Amino acid sequence: MKQTVQMQELEALMRSSQIVAGGFLGSDTRPLSEIIEADEADVAALGATLDGLGAKMAELTAAGKRGLGTAVAVGDGLSVRVEESRGLLICPWPNHGRFLKTETIVTRLDTGVSIHWSDLSAHLIAAHGFFQGRGSAFRVEPRDLVAMLSLYHPSSEHPSGTS
Amino acid sequence: MNLVLIVLVVSVIAAVLAAVLVFADTYINNYGECEIDVNEGTRTYTVKGGTSLLGALTDQKLFIPSACGGRGTCGYCKVKVIDGGGPVLPTEDGFLSPEEKKENVRLSCQVKVRGNIKIRIPDDLLSVREFTCVCSRIRELTYDIREFRFTLEEPDSITFVPGQYVQLLSPVYAGSSEEVYRAYSISSNPADTAAIELVIRLVPGGICTTYCFEHLKEGSPVRFNGPYGEFRMSDTDAPMIMIAGGSGMAPFNSILHQMKSTGCTRTAVYFFGARKVRDLFYIDEMRAFEKELPNFTFIPVLSEPQGEQWDGETGLVTEAVQRHFNDASGHEAYLCGSPGMIDASIVVLKKLGVPEDRIYYDKFS
Repeated sequence: MKQTVQMQELEALMRSSQIVAGGFLGSDTRPLSEIIEADEADVAALGATLDGLGAKMAELTAAGKRGLGTAVAVGDGLSVRVEESRGLLICPWPNHGRFLKTETIVTRLDTGVSIHWSDLSAHLIAAHGFFQGRGSAFRVEPRDLVAMLSLYHPSSEHPSGTS
Repeated sequence: MNLVLIVLVVSVIAAVLAAVLVFADTYINNYGECEIDVNEGTRTYTVKGGTSLLGALTDQKLFIPSACGGRGTCGYCKVKVIDGGGPVLPTEDGFLSPEEKKENVRLSCQVKVRGNIKIRIPDDLLSVREFTCVCSRIRELTYDIREFRFTLEEPDSITFVPGQYVQLLSPVYAGSSEEVYRAYSISSNPADTAAIELVIRLVPGGICTTYCFEHLKEGSPVRFNGPYGEFRMSDTDAPMIMIAGGSGMAPFNSILHQMKSTGCTRTAVYFFGARKVRDLFYIDEMRAFEKELPNFTFIPVLSEPQGEQWDGETGLVTEAVQRHFNDASGHEAYLCGSPGMIDASIVVLKKLGVPEDRIYYDKFS
């Protein structure tokens, strides 16, 4: 992927902390286009699609929201919890919208391993193929995300705190 | 090849023209003195033209809520421009609903003062001020929530209505290259006019909360402006249902202080939702209010009490509300917390008969 002038401007914005503390690229020194290209290649190699990942992430967030901050059991041994904070975050890509400060935490009940994403980071993955830079607060490895989401089937949800 | 060359040449010409226009607008155009009329002459300012409306108003110490410092990214700084604002810019378009466009609502950071302008803002904003203060106490309430006390310096006192919020300035710090403002409800007693207290939860990647938790120390200078907001207790005698979670505790703590100091005897039941015991705070304060206010009940509700010593209410906070009331049609409800909690609470309260126009809320959005 070519690192265009627009991409360079976008990368400068992402390396700054104008939108999130520490920026979107963390300690990753690779150009933005290279980060996106590498992660998209990983997703394709894993037999997944960005649209498919985005749809499952959105479903999991919606399921978690019904727990009002409490973990909800979903899929094959997963729990999902959603934390909401005051305010909005904008997408660094021009005119791509604003997102509530919502953090979704998905945990494998057998191992305790968790991954998390914000509404904005789910949008960045689904719409822009951008999993964020290594060392950033919301970086998620494509292989970890694909593995976690493969355990999710949208059935048998219930708030684990009340059952 | 020719086509590529033509596109390239046209692009370069367009870019040069755009740069010339920006340069001319910034350095050559002289708009002279312009008059900003606020609320039909309630206030009138004479300013030098050429700046943004938000910047011009801020220079005159009239503060319009804005979280992004005027970069056109938060969409908070809306005002109604009655006359003189020019057309809506593409940079505003995504932030304005069709109804707002019909009503001439604009983002004040995107409106340039090029001539006389007439605007309309909520009257409350006329009393908003900027405060400088010192962080005089930081108290850990839970593992991710802290109470910050700011003792005022200039001006040295504040008047606010419990339920209102302030905008705290997060300055430039290592890891944040821009000043930003973030909104927090005031938690303290309104009778304590020499200071305010805020209850703040650490948000991962949050610019202002990272500043508060990692950089702000006791003794640090702090700036905020306010107070803002219309979330407040009504002046009726209707019994109240209060529902909150996390840092949504803040406005209710302030409201309860006011009820105590005014001898208020209204019936109030306060449901506070948390996951575990470690997420609860202000419990001693709430139990003290129960003793001091004759008709006040505090009901903490844990949604994940498994393995904990807890004999109180359990489940979702909305389930506890449903267990407590069969018919709440004569009540008013006050909610503060996440959008999800508020939306779910509204559904439950309406089922219990609370009219929608008596459900007041401060949504975290």
